[in-house]
This record gives sequence, structure tokens and C-alpha cells, in this order.
Amino acid sequence: MSQHGEVLVLDDEPIVCERLMHHLEKNDFSVETFTESAKAVNRLAEKDFDVVVTDLKMRGPTGLEVLRYVRDHQPGTQVIIITGFASIDSMREAEYGGVFEFVPKPFQMERLTSLVKKATRKARKEHGKEKA
Amino acid sequence: MLRWLKILERFRRRDDAEVFRERLESFRSLLNGNNRVLELIADAGEKLGGEYVFDVQYLKTITADLEEAMHDVVYNLQAITGGRHPQLLDTVWRIAAEIRAAVDSRLVVPMGDLVIPLDRIDLELAEAVGDKMARLGEIKEHLGCRVPDGFVVSAYACQVFLEGAGIDPTAADDPADTPQELRRRVEEAPLPKELARGVRQAIKELEKRGGSGLLAVRSSALGEDGQTSFAGMYETMLGVAPEDALDAYRQVVASLYSDNVVAYRKLRGLPPAQGLMPVGFLTMIRAQAGGVAYSLDPARPDMDIIMVSASRGLGKTVVEGSAPVDTFELSRQPPHEVIERRIANKEMAYAADRRDGLQQVPVPVSERMAPAITDDQLQELAATTLMIERYMKRAQDIEWTVDSEGRLYIVQVRPLPIRAKARPGGRMVQEAVSKYPILLDGQGAVACRGIAYGRVHVVDDCASVDPPPRSVVVARTSTPRLAACLAEASAVITDVGTATGHLAAIARELRVPAIVDAGDATRVLETGWDVTVDAEENVVYRGRVDELLRYQLTKRSSFEERLEFRLLRRILHKIAPLHLVDPESPGFTAANCTTYHDIIRFAHEEAVRELIHGRWVRAPHTGPAVRRLLLDIPLDLVLIDLGGGLREIHGPGGAQVEDIRCAPLRALLDGLLSEGTWATEPADMDFDGFMASATRAGALTGPLATRPEQNLAILSDEYLHLNLKLGYHFNIVDCYLADQRNHNYIYFRFAGGVTEITRRSRRAVVLRKILESFDFVTEGTGDLVIGRIKKISRDEMVDRLQMVGRLIGFTRQLDIMLRDDSLVDRSVNLFLQKVYDESGN
Repeated sequence: MSQHGEVLVLDDEPIVCERLMHHLEKNDFSVETFTESAKAVNRLAEKDFDVVVTDLKMRGPTGLEVLRYVRDHQPGTQVIIITGFASIDSMREAEYGGVFEFVPKPFQMERLTSLVKKATRKARKEHGKEKA
Repeated sequence: MLRWLKILERFRRRDDAEVFRERLESFRSLLNGNNRVLELIADAGEKLGGEYVFDVQYLKTITADLEEAMHDVVYNLQAITGGRHPQLLDTVWRIAAEIRAAVDSRLVVPMGDLVIPLDRIDLELAEAVGDKMARLGEIKEHLGCRVPDGFVVSAYACQVFLEGAGIDPTAADDPADTPQELRRRVEEAPLPKELARGVRQAIKELEKRGGSGLLAVRSSALGEDGQTSFAGMYETMLGVAPEDALDAYRQVVASLYSDNVVAYRKLRGLPPAQGLMPVGFLTMIRAQAGGVAYSLDPARPDMDIIMVSASRGLGKTVVEGSAPVDTFELSRQPPHEVIERRIANKEMAYAADRRDGLQQVPVPVSERMAPAITDDQLQELAATTLMIERYMKRAQDIEWTVDSEGRLYIVQVRPLPIRAKARPGGRMVQEAVSKYPILLDGQGAVACRGIAYGRVHVVDDCASVDPPPRSVVVARTSTPRLAACLAEASAVITDVGTATGHLAAIARELRVPAIVDAGDATRVLETGWDVTVDAEENVVYRGRVDELLRYQLTKRSSFEERLEFRLLRRILHKIAPLHLVDPESPGFTAANCTTYHDIIRFAHEEAVRELIHGRWVRAPHTGPAVRRLLLDIPLDLVLIDLGGGLREIHGPGGAQVEDIRCAPLRALLDGLLSEGTWATEPADMDFDGFMASATRAGALTGPLATRPEQNLAILSDEYLHLNLKLGYHFNIVDCYLADQRNHNYIYFRFAGGVTEITRRSRRAVVLRKILESFDFVTEGTGDLVIGRIKKISRDEMVDRLQMVGRLIGFTRQLDIMLRDDSLVDRSVNLFLQKVYDESGN
């Protein structure tokens, strides 16, 4: 396991995946990226991640649906939603669904990295509880 | 009382009050639109620094926002000028359409030239000339590398050619045609006349400039080496005679449809016929030796070596791997010692000449075991390779040639892929950095991302800026003077400044990692220290952190190579450059506006002119908008309030200084009215002969009384446009002073004077020196001086405006003082000393 956490990044824009991968890996996270949400959900069924960073609007399952899936199947895993179209409704729904943080695009890399670090700490605490 | 007000009186009866108010409203909207556009330009510039993650959606949003704000500006200008500039609407529409087209479609074929000389090419043109030629142009233009002379037949030309051959290169579906059929069509199609003529003409010009007479015709396909790599799958033809150039062009284009490429495209899910092939025509170098250099060993990137392969004659032998060649390993550290050399027995060499074309010739037996390249040449090659690597921020694969005179040419540049297993992992980086002392951590903002190593050079604000090459330049302010040494710097750090400022923009242009607003960098860092600047995480380490540097070089792809980044850069080039600088120059016209920035600058100036000279400005003087400023000094100033610039005054009459709510005017008057500034007594200045000036300066007030309409201020709470004629001096100040830095700017223009031209130009030198010492960017010719500063804080603005106020007073005395050149510096010091004394420092 990576020292700093295991992260799944899901965004249909390859540039977002690539840049997050580079930056998070440099900070010693282990990262898997997906540009198709169906494939990401399949992977989530196979493996527990500490943090999921997902876009909101995508073809196939949306960010909110991914959030719901994670809540139902991996309650300890923290979800960060990034989006260029933050509507009040979607934010409220995400809030209600237990999102860790909602980040509007464009965002600063450092801000996201520090959020992922915090989310990992929270996830590890909760995973610990589950195991106990 | 005053003629000006009498004129107003006359117009009063016409009841222009309504029109006046409406136009003031338009002027205010225009200013807001201006600010909005500048804000968006700054925002886009900041995103280019790499600290933000953005996608194509951001580009669409900012494009739409800019378009809307530009329409605001132009429509309001139309309202103010009564529709005098309809062509600006067209210009905005055209620029917006170009930007939208670029953002919307992923395969952009820029319309335009069929043939583009290499001199005009850099990375900006990658979509027109392909990555390979764009990089070659870039390293020539920005790094001064020696590359062969040449030109490119553009993507647009290729599209025209293919369409003539009955092929749609943008088609998304699978055509029924086989690769063989596509190739046949390309090889048999006639070249469009204009294209054929363009190529012949360009070849003639190459020969005139002293080409070898033979050409290398190289593929430079769009997307080659990029995300979808077809590297090495396309045709390159060496030793092509000019008369065969058009056939060679067809063959290179036909390689778009080679069986290999089509199969590969299918494998990647791309349409088989999609693609365009810009083609480079380069003069063949008469090669003594040639080969390839890798800036790192791709299998062992931690080894700190450069790998060079060299053959006799053309480097084709190395690229093909067809025969044994020399290999060298050099240290990446200067002076790049040769660590290992393996000299091969080189029996044959490729050569090209006019008579026989490209052919293999035997190497004389006595020379076969001699190294193909000298140690001096190897070291030059190593230094050049690393320079390109630093600039591109990734490991590089470089093809080179040494000509018969021993001169090194770079003929191809591309990123060197590093095997995933060989790349250092995050763990390794994290462990490594934990061993180095952290000097700065998270202070300020990253203005341009990247990782660099260098020796600290702290720059004194007052001294001339001249650090050794590859320094980490550390300065207190982001003064524009630093820009001059940035090209040679490995990184730059400043105590104050913003990621949207002038210096930040230049750092991004030159790709120099930059951290601004770091607070106390000049105190913490000392000249001579070795440091590693990580302008990705915003950390500065003491020492050389090799793991970090290598991490950057071995990454999969760099942000700068992404389409989104290029698009943003291209958008910025259409909106951000300012060409219309001097409103008094004959070129300052609507027709010459080519960018959004030009348009808002022009619109602003036109609107101000209209306010000053337009018929409608003569509003009822008893209304709230126009007041005369009551002062003790003979500065006859009429104020036009756009709103919020003056306290509410009831009834007719003038305004007192205390009534002014306009922050920039208050600051400027603070300076102008400060003790001794307006006074013309020679006692303050210990220059003999100054007595004469006192009488003359006294006389300067003369014209004021008769031509008061020259002195006018247009103001709001945050904006000031001031037009002052003091005797023979014309001063214009246009500025914005608000809490948000991005809105703030001062434009100061000075011209005129009573004395002979040499004294006037001495005065211009004095003014520029003074302005520059306050971080203004200056320019001018003869006695004209223009100073500009922007994006500074409210406090800095107040400070600068007070200085400008003082300077306006000071210039009235300058002409007479400047009898010879030696007095230039004394005058500058005299002024600075005064400001310094009075500010109580």
C-alpha cells in the first residue's frame, strides 16, 4: 500500500487525469485514472480506495451516482467531486450524499492535493473502525 | 469668468443634460467592461502558469465571458461616439470566431499560408506546421540553436492538396478505400498551382541564402510524437534535388496512408484517413558527422549521463541502426566530461551531393577507427542538449549534424520516452526531499511551474541586474527590470508581486519556474547558496535534489505539450498583446486593433477624447457632474464626475480639495500640493543659473488663464483621467485605484517643453530614470515619455500617484536645470531624496 493513500481519479477529460496522476504520484499516492465512469465503477467493485476524485458530469454514471455507489459499497472511502458546472442542486445532493468536498474547476493543484491528504486521513480512520 | 464655462452656458439652453448623463453612464459601463476584460486576460494568463488544472470547458467559458465583456465595451463606445467605430464590432466578431473555432474543434486546420519560412515558426504554430517543425523553430527562435535553413508546407496546404486528390482528411468514418488506393491518389494527384509555385519560390530563396542545393524533406504530421505517437512511421527523404521536391512532397504525404500507419490508427480507434501532414523542407547540411543524443539514459535515468551516438557522414546510419557507430557517455555536469567511449569500425558513410543524390560511400581505411566527432564538439552537443531539455522540461532525443566546417546543427528534437520501470517513484522523491533542509515552504504563489536547480543570486533593487547565467534570481519586487535577466535564469523568486503581473507573464513566456510574493525570500536566501526550486509544490530546498529534478525530466508528458495548454496560449496571443501604446501616434486607429487588449485600449482613449472634446460634454455647469476645483495654485482644473468622484455639493460653485472622493486624484494632489513641489523658488535647488527659471516658470502660468479648457479631470471614486497643460508641458495621467490589484494601473504621459531639444531629451532621461526607480515600465522618443505600471496594491498605487503629482510639479523646473548631461543624475537624486525625506523614511 502506498504510504500516502490509494486514489482513484475519474474524469472524461484526459488532461485532468494526467495532471492529477503526475502530481499525486509525486506526493507518493498510488493513483489509478479512468476517463469512463462505467470502467471506474467496475474497478471500485474490485478494490478499496482511500479516496475517489470524480468529475460530476460524464457520459454513463455521473459523479453523483459514483458517490452513491461508493457510499453503498465502501462507506469508508472519501469522495471529492470536481466540476465546471456546480449547480446548487447538485451541490446539495452531493452534500446530502456525504461528499468529502466539492471543488469547482479550474482548481489549484495544491488545493486538491491537500484535500486528498485530508480525505485519506479520514478514510484510514474510518477503514480502521470498520476493521475493528 | 472663464471662457470654458461661458461656452457651457450657451449649450445649457439646448438641454443636453439627459444626453450627457446617458453618455456618462455608457462611459462608466465601458470602464467596467475594460476591467472585466483585463481581469479575464489576467485569469487566463495565470492558468497558463500550470498551477491550475483546467479542461476545455474552462476555455469555452472564458471565451464566452470575454466575448460578452468585449461586446459591452464596443457597444458602449458606439453609444458614446454616436456610432463612429462600427469596424470594431467586426474585429471583435472575427477574433471571437477564430477563438471559438479553435476551442470547439479538436483538429484545427489554421487557414492561411501554404508555405511558412522556418524563421517565422515556433511552438505557437504547432497546429499549422506539425510538432517536429514547430520545435525546431522554437529552439532556433527562443534558444538561438543553429538549425538548417528551411520552410514548411503547412497543414492547410495539405488539406487543400488532399481535397484535390478526392480525400477528406477530416472524415470521421471508415472510407471504403484501401491504404493502397489512398496512396495511389496522393501520388498521382497534381499539386495545386499556387502550392507548386510557393514551394519553387521558397526553394529559390533558400538557394539565394546559400543552401547546399539539396533538401531534406521531413514529415511533420499533426500529433506526431504527441499523444498518439506515430514517431518514425512516416517518410523522411534526404538528398532531394530541387526538381524532385514536389514528388518528394507527394511521397511524404502518402506515408499518412502506409499500411503500418493505417493499421496503427485502427488499433488506437482513430479513423483511417484522418490526419494531415505538414512537410518540412530543410537545406541539407554537408555532413562530416551526424547522429543522435539522449539527454538521459532512458533505461537508467538516475545515471546522470548524456548518451551520444555518432557516425561518419549523415546521421542516417545511426537512425537506421544499419551499421556499427561510435557511442559516448558524457557527464550531465559541466564541463560534460566523456566518461565512456566506444569507437566502432565505420566502413561506410551516407553522403548526399548534387550529382549522385543520397548514397553510401566507403570511409577511407585510415579514418575508420577515428572518432566521428571531437571531444570539443561532444561537449558543445552536450551543453546544447541540456539547454533544450531545460527549456522543454523533459528528457530529449535530439538528432544532430556537424558540417564540413565543424559547426553543430540540430536537425530534430523530440521528447525522450522513459520506461515506466526506470522512472523514480513518488516514494523515492518523498524520501529524498525529506533529507534536504527546507528554506521556503508554501510562501507566496507559483507564477510558473517547474523544477530547477541553481545558485542563488540576490538582486539589489537599485543596482543593475546582471546575475551569472543559470542563477536562481531572488529579488524584493517583481520589477520589470528583472525581465532582462530572466532568459538566462534557472528560476526566479520575489518577495512581493502577483501571479498575474508583468514579470510572471514573462517567466511563463520563457518557461522559467517562478515563485512570487514569497514574503522574505531576499532575507532567507543568500547569494551563492545552491538551491533546488520546486515550483510545483512551492518549496525551496537547500542543495541539489537530484531525485526531484529527475522526476520532472522523466514524466510521461508535460503540461505544456497538451492541446488545452496550447489552445490557451493561442487564445492569449489573440487577446493579450497590446500593440497600440501611444495614443498620439498616427497608428493609434480602430483599423490597427488586432487583439482584445488593443480594442479596449483604443475604446478607452476614444471615449475619453469624446468626453473632452465632444460637443455633448458641455453639460449644464450647475448640474452635479461638472465643477471647477478651487485651489491656491494657478492650476485651473475642471472636474467631470462620473459618479462617486465628488462629495455631494449643493448649489452652484466650485469644489474644494476636501470634496474630492476620487482616491487617485486625492493621492496625486497630495503629491502636487506637497510643500515645495509647486514653489519655484530657486533656494531649494543649489544649481546656479536657476534664477532664470524662476522668472520663466512664473510666466508659465500665463497661458493657463487664457486656455483653461486644457485642464480637465474625468473622475469616479476609483478612476481618474487627468489632462493637464502647464505652460508648454502636456501631462496625461490615466489610472485606476481600487482594492483589487488586477484593476490597478497608472498610465503617465509627458511631452513638450520650452527649451532646446537637447535639454528636453535630457529631461526625458531624468523622467524615465525616476519613473523606473518606482518600477514603471517606460518608453518614449525625443521629449516624449510614457510610463506605465499595473497590478500593484492600493498602498503602492497611492505612493506612486503622490510621486507622479510631485513629478508633474518638478518637471516645470527641470528644463532650466539641465544645462549638461552631468546634471541628469543629480536631478534624479535630488527628486528621489526629496520624496524620501518627505515620506519620513
